[in-house]
Order: sequence, then structure tokens, then C-alpha cells
Amino acid sequence: MNIKNDPLWVNVIKQIRLWARLNSVWAVHFNSGSCNGCDIEILATLTPRYDVERFGIKLEGSPRHADVLIVTGPVTRQARERLLRTYEQMPEPKFVISVGSCSISGGVFNGCYNVGGSTDEVIPVDVYIPGCPPRPEAIVDGIIQLLSGLRDGTLRKAEIPQTTGQVPA
Amino acid sequence: MNIETTLQQAEGLLAPWNKEATHPESNRLDVVIASGSLRHAVTALHNAHWGYLSAITGLDLGADAGQMEALYHFCFGAALTTLRIRLPRTALALPTIEDIIPPATFFERELHEMLGFKIAGTKSNDRLFIPDDWPDEVFPLRADFSIEQAKPVEGRQTDEVLEAGVVGGNKFVVPIGPQHPALKEPGHFEFSVDGEIVTAARMRLGYAHRGIEKAAEGRNWIQNLYLFERICGICSHTHSLAYCLGVEKLAHVEVSTRAQAIRELVAGLERIHSHLLWLGVAAHEAGFDTLFMYSWRDRETVMNLLEQLTGNRVNYSANVLGGVKCDIGLEQATAIKEGLNFLETRIRHYLEVVTTDTMFLNRTRGIGTISYTEAEEFGLLGPTARASGLVRDVRVEAPYGAYKQFPISAVTETNGDLEARCAVRLNELLVSCFAIRAIIDNLPQGPLTVKMPRKIPAGETISRVEAPRGELFYYIKSNGTEHPARIHVRTPSLCNWVSVLEKAVGRQLADVPMLIAGMDPCFSCNDRMITTVDRSGSRQTLSWTQLRERGIEYYRK
Repeated sequence: MNIKNDPLWVNVIKQIRLWARLNSVWAVHFNSGSCNGCDIEILATLTPRYDVERFGIKLEGSPRHADVLIVTGPVTRQARERLLRTYEQMPEPKFVISVGSCSISGGVFNGCYNVGGSTDEVIPVDVYIPGCPPRPEAIVDGIIQLLSGLRDGTLRKAEIPQTTGQVPA
Repeated sequence: MNIETTLQQAEGLLAPWNKEATHPESNRLDVVIASGSLRHAVTALHNAHWGYLSAITGLDLGADAGQMEALYHFCFGAALTTLRIRLPRTALALPTIEDIIPPATFFERELHEMLGFKIAGTKSNDRLFIPDDWPDEVFPLRADFSIEQAKPVEGRQTDEVLEAGVVGGNKFVVPIGPQHPALKEPGHFEFSVDGEIVTAARMRLGYAHRGIEKAAEGRNWIQNLYLFERICGICSHTHSLAYCLGVEKLAHVEVSTRAQAIRELVAGLERIHSHLLWLGVAAHEAGFDTLFMYSWRDRETVMNLLEQLTGNRVNYSANVLGGVKCDIGLEQATAIKEGLNFLETRIRHYLEVVTTDTMFLNRTRGIGTISYTEAEEFGLLGPTARASGLVRDVRVEAPYGAYKQFPISAVTETNGDLEARCAVRLNELLVSCFAIRAIIDNLPQGPLTVKMPRKIPAGETISRVEAPRGELFYYIKSNGTEHPARIHVRTPSLCNWVSVLEKAVGRQLADVPMLIAGMDPCFSCNDRMITTVDRSGSRQTLSWTQLRERGIEYYRK
């Protein structure tokens, strides 16, 4: 019997993959010019009061081992290339969560000479969490929305930004 | 010594080069000097130990005036002396003073990159905080700057050059950041190591530089309050406080004592949140994650109090121009007192942990020791300086707002190592708890806000506030309109970096994360510099492309 061609086995393996994916999300955090407000709230979600580890979520240092990229802050000119590179280094399938008003629209820094704009002008973003900064509960909710979207297959496909010139892999 | 005699002393020291002296405010002395006599004047103040160089502000007086100004601010207690140098826009040459006062190198780099002053004789010419692809002769803080001038230069990449790899023998360059598990904020470090010993340290910041000072000139006084609050999410209250104090001084508005007391109370709560956050991060860098989790759990108590008081956990916006927006009622007072009771026991416990736990002491005791003289020479500020016995605390030296009515005592240690810095910060929290209790028990009556004019009268002022990391310096200039003419911010982290770069050399690489954590750096605050400390000389630069090719070749073999 060839497992690869058997529709039953294909489905079983798909289900196992999804189960594993939903229960062991490794996230990498990138600050692309944030004021620190969102970053300390992201750290707060990892600590005992909010404890996202109960959902299997762990902060991972290397983008090469990560499933989810959490981006904070408006994208500054100096950080833009590095953000793109961090994204490119992540293995497929990968998801991006954009945390905070600055990351979504540039926020209060919109129009500053060193600020390029929002995260989704550089890399495709799956989930947006608004707030200045968002509360830890909001961040937990954003991550859960990503996971439930994945589970139910209702996750909106992230738009590939036009401005990068190249389609990120 | 009172302010008057201190200023007289400064005037006496500067007399030989003094072209014109004025007293714009009771605690300030402005001395106009020629650029040729700058080094003599700075040497005279430095040799007489007249305070320390707090900041250098650059001013563009406009294309019509054809002149620019460089202001060298020296602080001594509450007294301030400013050396003013006026230069024509066509010849902006200034001599360097980095050999007299080492931290001046950061201020000078800023002056060069933002306004185009040419610093003669400086050793560091790397990019400070504007991006690598920025055109050479474009200066963002000049009055005639427009964003069209700042188009990226062809062939320059912001992420191209990376120094890494084997330099020879046991020598190796370890690049860290801007995305790195030990750094919660972006910064790029390169540590050259010989075996395990660090031989050179270099860093490039600017990943979080947003251009706030320029943006402030285009926004009105009220909008700027919210902009400056977002310089830093950790010490947001002190930023808005420094801004408010300065603007209120310019507008000659006296804030009620109740509002001032509430401002000090929020600043105290913010200090508790900031230092507990720092304790967690420092413990994490030392591999002591249990302490990290505990201190962050307890930090939630103070976050709750801040939220109950102001409605937000971070970026509280407690300050408004002319007062505060939140009041303290019986309910809040009870909650704060209960919270403080819990926090005080926890802080005492942490104090015991960081001074007795053998494993933690192995990572802190005797490491990164900075003597009193070194602290003075490096121009350190805040807890980093106080751990070496150097009292640098604006709340004590030049009390502002409610600190006159509810004074605090400066906490100092003498050892100057990482252990001392832990102890200073935790003891400071106990002092803050004490001050907060005193405020709640004796809260003065009065209105929360007083009316502020929409247009601020023309003038310039300096506002200094003690942030959790050290002295925060604001220079504010108004030309009588709804928008500020210039606001210059000098944050404490900028002055404290020297402690890491100087002290990392000669230590083990494993101590570096603790050294960085020891000064409690705030990248978003100070993002504006690059510096090199190199004692080995040998170095090889590889471009990212070369490195990539090398990697591909390595795996082929």
C-alpha cells in the first residue's frame, strides 16, 4: 500500500500536521522601530498572569525555527531590510501577527522622515492587533484568532505587498 | 552651595572667553563664545569639576538668518550653564571635545548628522542613527529639509555590511542583533573575541530611530504631548512630564500642588514598574528565569494600579498641559496602599535574593565594576552612576514639581559592579514606595488642571526630569506660535552606553548580556549612535553577499 496515494492516509497525516501545528506555535518577535510599549506587553503575555504557554506558544529566538512572526512598531528605514530577511528565513508555513497601531498604520509616527509605514507594506500580514499598546488579553485573543482560523480553514489569505518589488517566498 | 554662587563661579571660570553673558532664567547662565575658544572653555569647566556636560543642542536659526547655533549645556546641581556658539551656515566647523569629555562623542555625532556641523578632529565617523542608505549632505533637522531630498542612495543597502567570521587564530567576530533572543529591542552589536575574551566592541543603533524631533516641529503643542509620550513605552510618563514642565515654564503657568503631587505619584509607580521589568530581564539574561517570572508576576500589581488610576497599562497619558487628567479618590488610595504593602514585601524578598543567591552573585559580583572616577569620566547617569557612589539624581539635586514638598533621598552604593546596580534599583523602589505613601496621606487640595494658552510665548527653556534610567533632558524653544520651534531630547541611556562598551573589553563573552542588562538600556529612547572600542586592531569586513557565498561554498565541500 502506498500511503502517499491513499486518500484516507493523506487525510490522517494532514489532520496530525494540523493538530501539531495548532498546539505548538513557536513565535519570533521582531521590533521594527517600536516605542517598547507593545514589546513589554508581548513579554507580559508570556509571564504568569497571562501565560500563553498554556496554548503551546513559546517565544523562539531563531526565525529558522519559528512559525509565527510577531512584528511591533512602524517600519523604519534601517530596520526594513532586516524585517524582510527575518521573514524570508522562516520556514513555510509561516504567519505574521502585526501588533499595535504603529505596526498597522504607522500610528503616531506616520509621516516621520525615517518611518516607511506599516508592516503590511513590507511583508504579508495575517492578523492585526490594534491598540497603543494592545492589552495582553488582546494579544492573546489575536493569537487565538490565528489558531482558530487555521483550525477551521477560515483564515483570510494575507495580501502580498506591492511595494517590495519581489514576492516573499 | 546655592545656585547664585555656583553660577558666579562658572561666570568667573569662563570670563576670558566670554563675549556676552545673560541670565535667561534664575538658574541659568548663557555665555556666548567663539568656536575657537570652545576647547579652552570646556577644559576650564571640566578641570574645575563644574558639573558635567549634559547635552549638546543644535539649532537652525533659519535659511534667512543664515546662522546656526550649537549649545553646550553643563549641569551642576540645579544650576545650568550654556555655552552658545553662533556660526554661519556656510562654515559650520566646530572642534571636537571628545578627548576632554568622552561621552561628548555621541552628542557631536548627533550634531553632525542632524544639522550638518563639521566636527574637526573626531575619531568616529560612522553613521550614528540615520539609515545607511541616507544621502550624505542631507540633514533632517535643518529648517529647509524636505523628505524628497532623502531618497535612498543607489547602491547603498541598510542591511548589507556585516562584520563576522574568523579574523585569524582564535579571533572571531560575534554579531548580535538586531533580532536576537537576548535583545527585546533592535540594536546591532559586534563583539570581537579572542577565545572567550572580548577584545573589541562595536555597536550600531538607529533601528528604532523614527525622527520624532523633526515631527514635533510640525505638530501643535497638544499633539506633541502624545508624540513625546511615545518616545518610550516604559518611561512614557517621565517623557511627557519633562515636556509639560518645560512648556508650563515657558507659558508662565503654575500647576496646582495637587496635580504636581499626582504627577510624582504616577512617576513613582512607573519607576516600580520599570525597575521590576528590568529585574526580570536582567535575571533572564543571567539564566535565572524563575526570578524573571516572579518579578513579572508582581509587576502586574503595579500595572493594575496604573490602569485603575489612568485607564491604561502603558502610555498612561496622565499628564496634560497645565495639570493631570486623573484624580485620586478614596478607592484609588486604598488600592494603591494595598498594592504597595504587597510590593514592599516582594521587593524586600528580591533584595535578599540578588544579594545572597550564590548563582546570581556569580554573574554579578565584581563584574563590570565602575569606580567613582570612571563613572564621572564616562558621564554616567541614574542608577548606573549611583551604584558607583556618584549622586546623579535630578530629584535630589534639582527638585522639580512635588519633589520639593515630598522629597526623596538618593540611594547609593559604592562597589559599582552589577550587584551594586541591582541593589541600588531595588532600594530605590522602597524609597519610591515610601514617597507614594506620603503623597497619598498628605494629598494637597486644588484643581487638577489650570488653563493653558494655545500659543506658547516665545522663549527657550530647559527641563530636566529623573527618569527610571537617569536624567532626562529636554530643551524646548518656542517662537510664539502654536507649534514648537525646536525640541531637543537627550535620554539617559545615551550617556550610559559607554559603561557597556568600555567594560565588555577584556571580559568573557558570557558576561556581555549581563553588562548590557546592567545599564538597563532603552533603545527606543536613545536610538542614535554608533561607536567603536577596539584594542586589537585586526579586523576584517565582509559584505553580506560575500558571507552568503562563503556559506554556500562551505556546505558544498
